Order: sequence, then C-alpha cells, then structure tokens
Amino acid sequence: MNMLEIKNLKAGIGDTEILTGLSLTVKPGEVHAIMGPNGSGKSTLAQVLAGHEDFEVYDGTVEYMGKNLLELAPEERAREGVFLGFQYPVEIPGVNNTYLLKAAVNAKRRHQGLDEIDAFDFLKIARETMEMLDMDQSFLNRGVNEGFSGGEKKRNEILQMAILEPRLAILDETDSGLDIDALKAVANGINSMRDPERSIVLVTHYQRLLDYVEPDYVHVLSQGRIARSGDKSLALQLEEKGYDWIREAASA
Amino acid sequence: MSAVGLQQELLEAAVTALPADELSAVREAAVASFAANGFPTTRHEDWKYTNLSAVAALSNTWLQNKADEPGAQAIAVDTAVTGQIDAHWITIRNGIIDPASLRKLDSLTQSGVTLARLAENVAKESIAVDDPLSAFNAALLRDGLRIRVANDSALDKPIGLLLIDDGSVAVTQIRILIEVGEHAKLRVVECSLSAGGDPQFANSVTQAVLCDNAALDFVRLQQRRKEHLSVNRFSARLERDAVLNYNNFDLGGELARNDIVADIVAAGASVNLRGLYLASGRQHIDNHTCVDHRVGPAKSTEEYRGILNGRARCVFNGKAIVHAGADGTDADQSNHNLLLSEKAEIDTKPELEIYADDVKCSHGATVGQLDKSALFYLRSRGLDKDEATQALTRAFASAILGKLAIEECHEYLATAMDEQLDALIDEE
Repeated sequence: MNMLEIKNLKAGIGDTEILTGLSLTVKPGEVHAIMGPNGSGKSTLAQVLAGHEDFEVYDGTVEYMGKNLLELAPEERAREGVFLGFQYPVEIPGVNNTYLLKAAVNAKRRHQGLDEIDAFDFLKIARETMEMLDMDQSFLNRGVNEGFSGGEKKRNEILQMAILEPRLAILDETDSGLDIDALKAVANGINSMRDPERSIVLVTHYQRLLDYVEPDYVHVLSQGRIARSGDKSLALQLEEKGYDWIREAASA
Repeated sequence: MSAVGLQQELLEAAVTALPADELSAVREAAVASFAANGFPTTRHEDWKYTNLSAVAALSNTWLQNKADEPGAQAIAVDTAVTGQIDAHWITIRNGIIDPASLRKLDSLTQSGVTLARLAENVAKESIAVDDPLSAFNAALLRDGLRIRVANDSALDKPIGLLLIDDGSVAVTQIRILIEVGEHAKLRVVECSLSAGGDPQFANSVTQAVLCDNAALDFVRLQQRRKEHLSVNRFSARLERDAVLNYNNFDLGGELARNDIVADIVAAGASVNLRGLYLASGRQHIDNHTCVDHRVGPAKSTEEYRGILNGRARCVFNGKAIVHAGADGTDADQSNHNLLLSEKAEIDTKPELEIYADDVKCSHGATVGQLDKSALFYLRSRGLDKDEATQALTRAFASAILGKLAIEECHEYLATAMDEQLDALIDEE
C-alpha cells in the first residue's frame, strides 16, 4: 500500500487556486524532496496535508495508507500518524513544552487504544532525542517555542516528530533560517527517523539540506503542480541552473 | 429595563425592628446616609453597565418579609476548601461570625494577631460609609470581623475567611476590618461560597489599613452559585512603604461587582491589583478599581484578565489618579480579554487622571479571540479542539495565576480554574 497518494489535487484560498492538479505517490520508507520557487505552492501542499482550515480543496484526492485523508480533522490526521513540521512554528506562551509533548503522545496512544505514556519513559525518550539534537533540556520547561531562536524552533519541531514517531512526516522548510550547526543537528534528527515503515516529505527551497538528508526522489513544483521529477541529481541541477529553466520548460 | 430602587421606608422599618445591640448606632447613622442617595442606577457613570434592579427587588422583598426570618432552610455547602488550603480558617455564615471557629484561633494573640467580632465591640467611626452600598451594608449590619496585627508581627500561615451564604437568608451584609501594624505582615485568603437555588444577595465591605512598612497579601476567590448576586468593596489605605497585593478571582455568581480602592497617602507604598474573571451563560462581572496616588514616589500595577463565553458580560474600569505633587508615581494598568463567543461582551476602560509632572504611567486594554494559528498548531499535534482551547485559555489565565500573592492557594485555585474553564468551554 502506498503511504501517500495524491491525485490531481486542486486547492487554494477562497477563489485563488494555488495547487492546480498536483499528483504524487510516496511509498513506505521513501524520502521525497519537494522543491520549487517561492509561490509555487510548496507550503500550501504541506498545510493542506495537515488539514489547515484556511485552505479549500476544490478537486482531487489524497489517500494516506488507503484512507481518505481529506475528510479527517487535523487532530485525527496527527493521531493516525501524519506529522507536519511547521515552516513557522507558533509561539504559545503559557503552554508548557512538556505538556504539549505529553498531550500529543497521549492523544495518539489513546487513539491506538494504549495507556498513557509512563512519565519515566517519556523523559528518557525526550532526553535522548534532545541530546541528539544538541538541545538544552531546559527547553522542556519553557513555553512552546516561546522566545526560541529560529534554530531552536526547528529543533523543537524535530523533537516533537521524534517523540510522536509519525508514519508520514512532512517537513515544511525545516532548513530555512538555520546556521550550519543547526542544519547538521536537524538533518541528524531527520536521518535518525529514516525507517522502512516511515516516509518523509521534505519541502525545501534550497538544495543544502539534501547534502545531509539524501532523498530518494526530488520533485520540482511550478505553478501548483509537479513540473519535473527525478533523483537527487535533479536537486544539484537546480542548484546550478536555478528554477527558471523548469518554469520555461513547464510553460513551453 | 426600568430601574427598581430600594424602598427607603422598608429599610427604615427593618432597621428599627432590629433588636438593640452594639451596632445600633452604626445602623442608625447609616440609614440616614443611605437615604441621601439610594441605590445607584445605570445613569450613574460608575454603574453604567451594572444594573442593580434585581438586587433592589430582592432586597425589597426580603426587607418586607424580614419578620419571618429565618424563613428558608440552611443548605449544606461543600467546604472542602478549608482542607485544601492551609490557613487559619474562620467561618462567616450569612455575615455572622461563627464563634466556635473564632475561639479556635485565640492562641493567635501570642503571635500578635487579635480577632474580634464587631457584634461584641465596635467603635462607630470605624465603620466606613463611602458609597450607597457601604451605607446599605452598615444600615443592616449585625456582625463583622476585625483583624488586627500588632507591629512587627506575622503569622505562620494565612488567615482564611470562609464566607458562606447558606440560602437561609436572602440578603447578607459582610464587614471585615483589617489593620496591619508597622513592619507587620498579614496574608488573607477569602473564599465565598453559596448554596441553594433561590436568589441571594451578599454585600461585603472590607476596609484595610496598612501602617508604615506593613504588608497585606489578600487573595479573594468567589465561587458562588449561578443564582447569586454580590457587591464587594475592598478599600485600603497605605502608609509609608506599605505593600498591598490583592488578587481577585471571580469564578462564579450571576452578578458580581467589585470596587477595589487603594489610597496611597505616604511615599514608598506599592499596590498590586490582579484579577481574573471567567464568565459564561448570562454572568455579569464588573471590576472597578481605583488607586489614589496622593504622594510620590509610589508604585501601582493593575492587571486584570477575563475569559468570556456565552452571553456573559464583563466590565473593567481601572482608574489611577495621580494627585498634584505626587511626583515619582509609577502607575501601570492593563486589561486583557478573551472572548470565545460572539455574544459575549466586555466593556473595558483603563483610566488615568494625572495632575503631577514627574510620573510614569501606562495603560492598555485588549479584546481578542483565541489565536487561530496556535489552535491549529496544537490540533496538528493531536489535541482535539476542546483540549487545545483548554490549553490556550489556561495559558491566558496563567498570567494572573502565575503571580498569585499567596502560594498556599495555588493548587486549589489552579484546579478550580481548570474546572471552571472546562465548563465554560463546553458551553456553546
């Protein structure tokens, strides 16, 4: 069974169509990179897959492990194993990071008919992951993303992903705004999640993340649909030539 | 709505009918001063949004039938709070001090704290009559509590005031007098509860005097039933370097009006007023605060927050008056509100009146809805909408709870607040 199967997806905000017939198939264990210039619809795709209410789906289908993803509420998608790493993680002062992590894990466990996570187990996983991400443990006791630097926010997204162990992770520009150390730490976190049972979709503007996380496939989005697909060498070509040649090829 | 006033002749007759006691002179003087104005109406600027017609109607009926008292049955109230907050508890039932609870605290005199019933001893001039409601309170006063803390004294734990309206008396008057001596410290937790499904009205007045370098921490927790109407006045006078921390949590009641007045009469004083109101259904909660900076330098902060759902209506009117010559005043006030329903309403008005030159004053008010992007973020992590709303509203309220003046109440209050938030969010 495919992890994710998107067919002819058309979506946007109000009357503005942003995705104009996008199709994509992701199999278990695969890492896909979705690249494209600003405004090509990369983030819209990520938000639509997570169920953001601001976006409307006009046409097409999205199946996640054989289920119709589009009819699930955002929280149901999360509990079923879909994770969105936000491009701009939201600061929520007063909501404790540990509280969110535990509530998220337990919401998923309840959904699976499991008991709530043991406090000791939780801390163990959290600490190990934070060590790998080179994150200070004080982050656990802070408000969600409150006062975090750009790099800290992205590490926090990876921490959440590692603890939630999704089947399908969609990481929206997780590499943007990171210095080289943070980029390596984040890439390290992503690589540690690679698994034959898990698929990862990396949405990115730049090629540099792909130096550290090697994708199986690279797709280039242009004007709301996939204009070209290939292996990792496509990313290098883009790095060299920019996006213009794709756009020209797409409109030709 | 046409205004219902309090019938003066009913009040006079009821007061005359009361047996003579220690407070007779207080009552007689107060009846006369109440007569001058009667209950305020919504034409009065300070009462623009809060209509006392229901209070007047209930009071009229009660005054008329007072001969039958005690008419209704007392109803038991869950007083678990006394086991959950570690304090020296005193029970005040329908405005009357429970003598047994007071006797248990006799030994506090050794720590410099004396507790006395006004029914046993009162100086007429010590009962303040500042406005029509405090006049009404004094006119019907049968008892009250005086707390005196001697100079340089402090207690190991807070004094707990358990105010119970048990349903047997429709209209109650509560009067608390507090005097904190020089370099002394007092902490008070006041918890107001009510029982029964019939309407009740409680009119409470607390007067505090903080001598030089005195400190008073006061946490008020109002958890009355939905049928309950209340007017609560807290006034404090602060001498040199005195510190007042006053926290008010309104979690219950149908109508609750608070007037908090702090009078800074000497330099170095500090006033911190914080409040949280959670209102749903048709609850009406009105907070009026006023800090008088008569002398500087001195500092005051006011921070009130509210979460409203249903058709709740709340009012915040925070005033700081910086009198001429009160240079070095630092006054800050803020009011933030979260409206979860389109039919909820908040009227907020922070006010500054400044007659001095060298001052630092600021104020701000916000009214908003839940942050949609935060809501989506939490839902994308698997929290359902109610859970996410709970987390966000609790976070909003924690700005007040996090600065609680008395640590001993924290756990109880956090739980009470969570329960109230759950109920409030469920309503739709």
